[in-house]
Amino acid sequence: MPDQVTIECIVNGKQVRTSIPSGMLLTELLRDVLGLTGTKVACGKGECGACTVLLDDEPVNACLMLAAQVNGHSIVTIEGLASDNEATALQQAFVEEGAIQCGYCTPGMILAAEALLRRKPEPSEEEIREGISGNLCRCTGYTKIIQAVQKAGVLRMRQKA
Amino acid sequence: MSQTRFVGKPIARIDALEKALGKTRFMSDLVFPNMLWGKVLRAAYPHARICRIDTSRSEQLPGVRCVLTHRHVMGLNGFGIVKPDQPVLCHDKVRYVGDAVALVAAETESIAEEALGLIQVDYDPLPVVEDPEEALSEYAPKVHEQGNLLLRTKLQKGDVKQGFTEADVTLEQRYSTQLFEHAFLETEGGIGIYDEESGVITVYCGSQYAFRDQLQIARALDWDPKKIRVCSSPVGGAFGAKDEITIQIYLALLAYYTRCPVKIVLSREESFISHVKRHPMRLDVRLGATKVGELKALDVRILSDTGAYASLGGPVLNLALEGAPGPYRIPHTHLLGRAVYTNNGMSGACRGFGATQSCFAMEITLDMMAEQLRIDPIELRLKNVLRRNDLSAIDHLIFTSVGIEETLKIARDSELWRTRDIRKRDFQPPIFYGVGVASEMQALGLGKGIPDFAGVSIELDRDGSFLLRQGCIEIGQGNLVCFLQMAAEVLQCDIERMRLTHGDTFASPDSGSVTASKSIYLVGNALYLAAKTLLQELERFASETIGEPMRYQECELVGPSRRIPLHELAQTAHSQGRQLKGEGHFVHPTSDKDYGDGLPHCLYSFITQVASVVVDAETGMVKVHDVLSIPDCGRAINPQGVEGQCEGGVVMGMSYALLEKVELQHGRFLTDNFSTYTLPTAADAPLTNKTVIVESMEPTNPFGAKGMAEPPNVAICPAILNAIYDAIGVRIFDIPVTPEKLLAEIERQRKI
Ligand code: FES
Ligand code: FES
Repeated sequence: MPDQVTIECIVNGKQVRTSIPSGMLLTELLRDVLGLTGTKVACGKGECGACTVLLDDEPVNACLMLAAQVNGHSIVTIEGLASDNEATALQQAFVEEGAIQCGYCTPGMILAAEALLRRKPEPSEEEIREGISGNLCRCTGYTKIIQAVQKAGVLRMRQKA
Repeated sequence: MSQTRFVGKPIARIDALEKALGKTRFMSDLVFPNMLWGKVLRAAYPHARICRIDTSRSEQLPGVRCVLTHRHVMGLNGFGIVKPDQPVLCHDKVRYVGDAVALVAAETESIAEEALGLIQVDYDPLPVVEDPEEALSEYAPKVHEQGNLLLRTKLQKGDVKQGFTEADVTLEQRYSTQLFEHAFLETEGGIGIYDEESGVITVYCGSQYAFRDQLQIARALDWDPKKIRVCSSPVGGAFGAKDEITIQIYLALLAYYTRCPVKIVLSREESFISHVKRHPMRLDVRLGATKVGELKALDVRILSDTGAYASLGGPVLNLALEGAPGPYRIPHTHLLGRAVYTNNGMSGACRGFGATQSCFAMEITLDMMAEQLRIDPIELRLKNVLRRNDLSAIDHLIFTSVGIEETLKIARDSELWRTRDIRKRDFQPPIFYGVGVASEMQALGLGKGIPDFAGVSIELDRDGSFLLRQGCIEIGQGNLVCFLQMAAEVLQCDIERMRLTHGDTFASPDSGSVTASKSIYLVGNALYLAAKTLLQELERFASETIGEPMRYQECELVGPSRRIPLHELAQTAHSQGRQLKGEGHFVHPTSDKDYGDGLPHCLYSFITQVASVVVDAETGMVKVHDVLSIPDCGRAINPQGVEGQCEGGVVMGMSYALLEKVELQHGRFLTDNFSTYTLPTAADAPLTNKTVIVESMEPTNPFGAKGMAEPPNVAICPAILNAIYDAIGVRIFDIPVTPEKLLAEIERQRKI
């Protein structure tokens, strides 16, 4: 087929090589081809952040990217954040702080927060609000999400020290 | 239940870890082998006659498996919770742009999409009914054959004329509210599967009541309901909009005709135009009080634009009326409402269920009354506050718990309220600071005459753990952990020793819908009965087997000479083929009065909310600074969950007050996604958003619980508007208070 392309990338630490239609979205590659349904689609237009994944450590909206664009790059989805199924401090903080209600925004939110903490290990409240402002949550009102990110930031600093 | 081990503790939700790890499968995440993609053809006009539907070209497209129209609906071509006036697939007429005309199933999503474009529908456009007032004129085009009035309800108490003559001050004001979108994040999505051998159609699709979906699907397909399985939990948010049928019947039809699993996931835009919204209402309020602040008379008239179909438009209107007087004693009332069909999309259940609109109007009127009478707004509310065993403002006895007085006292004593004038000095013009308050009384449950019950069963598994079979759905509210906390309390075991089912019609008894903030109360009651019955059953079986009287205690059965751990007893029962289980069935209590159509209710949660705002009088921008929510939800089974409901409700209500509005023009949506319909982000959320819980123990629930999903998003809206007035002396009576609207009003007042 003329519009097929072969891509090679690393998804959650694993080498992926696959032939896909050139018009396929990154969300489709992740969800439909690789079965990584932790990445959500809530708008498909870059407006909500539910599809946030890390592309070479940077948060991107997977719904706005073609799968072909990640050729040669590395992707981390929510499934790949924790190693051996052990929740990271950030994920644990979301659980403990009650930052998760319906949970549909959660994967994108956690990855956006992860990117923020990598960039800025001790963000102020203001920086957290700003850092996750591309991610909509209709359930929580954000308070507990902000608290969870703060808590995880402190924990990570302590772990490093 | 005073000493508790689980109830009242902030235990982490049982579904949270999976969600954090990205492992939770929502119904729209499911995939099956040989799966086809389904698509829905929506109406091309908001109001039109259908002259002809030609699907032949679409059917011939390679990869298309079926194209369905009204002719394929085997049973009743209609759905609707109260009356099935919404066609599954339109036959002669379309009444809003979300109406479904045809369905397609194809091998890929893009083929299905292409096939939709090949369906030829000839329409004869009809005049669009846009204005609910005009819709009632006898010359108005009819949305439905029988006319445009869906429901007219009148409630009264005492003699309102007399009441106004007894009043020293009477205030009159017109209010209006906007069409509002729930904006849950998971759009409607799921899969239908038909198993020919068993004759069972399974529909996986997030909703708020699998058991009602089952009946609505059965009715449309003329199918045995027992052969329809609906799995609808967990859900990525609903807030009322997934109470009504969305795509479930389409999934069932497509699965039936193709004999293949068929998946539909709506785009944000399609979701937006098709599902119900919060009703826009026009409210005329007249309130009379004596000089000393005794409320004497209230007259409220509501005109509710229900859009194209009934759905829950009637009950929403009724709850708006019942909620209008708020948590106050008023001797003379006259409350009149009309719900009207138009072609303005369609409205239905939305968090607050009508009380959102009437509370907004009443609580601003009260604020104005307090100012007129020179009484502190909280003191005015306290003077008239409703207490247990009072007669309500619609003349029914409130025999259940009422904690509103305490919420008001906490508000009065709060730092936020006490420092409101002092803190004004921290701001310089054009920046102004203000604080406002509002209270609400939210009816829980479905109301008089509407079947409202929950069934639960609890089984002892062969490994000695418990399986709690209940049917309610997890839509984000966090009820599952609460169910386990309550069950653990009675069964005296750890939460980890229990599993539970949710939202699967083949796995449990019907436990009712997750609407009207009612699942904790109803399921709590039912599971209490089930657990008690199970414990008796365990003791009976143990006594029989051991031959001496055995008592259950902390996962052991204890007799005069022996103790058996529960898992041993479970194995014994299992080896004898005995299923040890307890069932509980609870029916919601009802009021002594019956006003028809679900009125009145008899159980209420309450809330008082205080909000501070900072207003920039030059830009019209309003920033909500601090919010204090003081809910009375009965016993808080999981305080962290109650806080979560409050914090989320506050931001949604704030946005209702200041930001969100669905824009329609001639029945077409101008806002249908998140770039045109903006939602608040973390940067917009209040700086502080605190909760102080009041627990008025509810006598009709063994744990003392009531409910708390709706109230926090109700009173916050008028609290914010009252705060804006406190800040700059400008009142706005139609929401949302956008910067443009506020600036225009500031300008207008400056000129007078
Ligand atoms: S789904 Fe990608 S931003 Fe909303
Ligand atoms: S938890 Fe539901 S959208 Fe964030």
